[in-house]
Amino acid sequence: MVHVYEFMWRVLHVLLHIHRTLITLFRIRLRNWNGQLWSRAIAALLVPIALSFPKQKKLVPAPGKRVGRRYRWGADGKSLEKLPDHIGLLIAEEEPRYTDIANLVVWCMAVGISYISVYDNHGVFRRNNSRLMEEILKQQQELLGLEGSKQHSVEFLSNGTDKQDHQVLSCQSVVKVLSPDDGKLRIVQAAQELCRAVEQMEKTAKDINVTVLDSLLRESKTTPDPDLVLKFGPVESTLGFLPWHIRLTEFISLPSHVDVSYEDLFSALQHYASCEQRLGK
Amino acid sequence: MSWIREGELNLIEKLSANILKAGPMPKHVAFIMDGNRRYARKRQVERQEGHTQGFDKLAETLRWCLNLSIHEVTVYAFSIENFKRSKDEVDGLMELAKQKFIRLLEEQDNLEKHGVCIRVLGDLTLLPLDLQQHIARAVVATRTHNKCFLNVCFAYTSRHEIANAMAWGVEQGLIKSSDVSEALLSRCLYSSNSPNPDLLIRTSGEVRLSDFLLWQTSHSCLVFQSVLWPEYSFWNLCDAILQYQLNHRPLQKARDQHREGQALQQHEADRACLADLLQHHGNGKPLDAQRRQEALLNYTASREERVQDFLGALQHKRDSFLTDLTSQAALA
Repeated sequence: MVHVYEFMWRVLHVLLHIHRTLITLFRIRLRNWNGQLWSRAIAALLVPIALSFPKQKKLVPAPGKRVGRRYRWGADGKSLEKLPDHIGLLIAEEEPRYTDIANLVVWCMAVGISYISVYDNHGVFRRNNSRLMEEILKQQQELLGLEGSKQHSVEFLSNGTDKQDHQVLSCQSVVKVLSPDDGKLRIVQAAQELCRAVEQMEKTAKDINVTVLDSLLRESKTTPDPDLVLKFGPVESTLGFLPWHIRLTEFISLPSHVDVSYEDLFSALQHYASCEQRLGK
Repeated sequence: MSWIREGELNLIEKLSANILKAGPMPKHVAFIMDGNRRYARKRQVERQEGHTQGFDKLAETLRWCLNLSIHEVTVYAFSIENFKRSKDEVDGLMELAKQKFIRLLEEQDNLEKHGVCIRVLGDLTLLPLDLQQHIARAVVATRTHNKCFLNVCFAYTSRHEIANAMAWGVEQGLIKSSDVSEALLSRCLYSSNSPNPDLLIRTSGEVRLSDFLLWQTSHSCLVFQSVLWPEYSFWNLCDAILQYQLNHRPLQKARDQHREGQALQQHEADRACLADLLQHHGNGKPLDAQRRQEALLNYTASREERVQDFLGALQHKRDSFLTDLTSQAALA
């Protein structure tokens, strides 16, 4: 009897994988065809299939042009009820594509998001920090043009530096590259620091509370906690992303960052704008 | 039993359960039971009724978990942030909790029969004293049971949990600052006696963690479902478990990689501490490779002994807090 159940389990998972593959295939095909009639027809076909397997909240990206019109990005940002102050781009077990990440960062800047963090759980971005920065600057020129790049300047924060006060520029965004070491390891280091302070009689145990720990873990006094994390990739987990900072973060999943479009990003932002946070009340 | 509904699965449910169990199953599931008040609005009943139905749904879900051989469940019952709610609602919730814990104590025989161990995680000192005493009695009475475990997070937020863990570690002077590691911090949390959750489910469509098990769920499968908690069904649970099964292998791999990284970091830290020690207390002569290796093993062993003593003291402190509460209750 056990073998029968095992067999049926395998069949079930094969079906689920086929379902996933079909969705991915249609997503890519729809994007290429770009015809309204086709996309509506296929969507009509897909919807019953999608509904028959109740899934958690995932956005099926709408088909759309890869390069949107740059003048409307800022207006789009202003049209939203709320925009995250700090957005996290979490690449969950996907081979990183620097151009696509750079596009996402530039779009986030153009829409008006001030703090952008990029994370992957293998520390690949951290190790290739300069390559990512170059790619972002390159895409900034390409997508925003020379004028746009002057308007939207970007500051890259590396680990340990404090955000300095620059002269006032019209729109400035801060980009930070994160790795798992910024998560639990950083909390452990803060704990060791506090421990040393107690050993040296500079503090007592009673002085250790959430506020003290929070200020130690904050990169700079002005950096807010991530309001929104966009997770790209097949794995449904935070994979070590800043455990302390994500207590109120909204998580929105997108299937992949490969060939991601501005429309994908914007529909996630629209979704975020409709979230209601009650903060315990 | 009021906390775990009696009953068995019907034929179709049993069939589905058996199919699911052919694959990897989560051993520890965490629930954020969200949506009671929205459910009450939808059904046009009192808020308190929504919470009561929420509790009934918890009892039903625990039954399903046992049927699916999931032996550890953690639930987010009351956050420290929830104290911000109206006095009426908070009092109502405290009263509901009190009634449920009193009922639990009346069913001790059943609890023993099913081997249910109840733990309450959170800062109990923030609760009314009579509720603290009922909780303490329930926890102490079921302490030795080990067939299934229910962890109720009450007056809990993850940040408080982490900060408290640190404070205690530091207070006693039982450990050195260099002993502090990820593994040690994990053992200082309220959840130290449980493995990390494999699966975290949040209902009602919200897609955030709300300060729940932030440390423990860094490599857990997160499933956000739009159903309101009092309407949760067996099939919702199966869907979540399916998600877990689809994510199982990559998550396992990520977890193993993280653990390897941790072990390496610990090893490096031990070497650095040893080098420091030799510099300050050594006689100036450099050690050869073999003596160095021996010294490293000795250092690691002494660190681990220190840590074990410390953790023993921490457990003792927590146990005494609860036993003191129960003796207070007995005297009253």
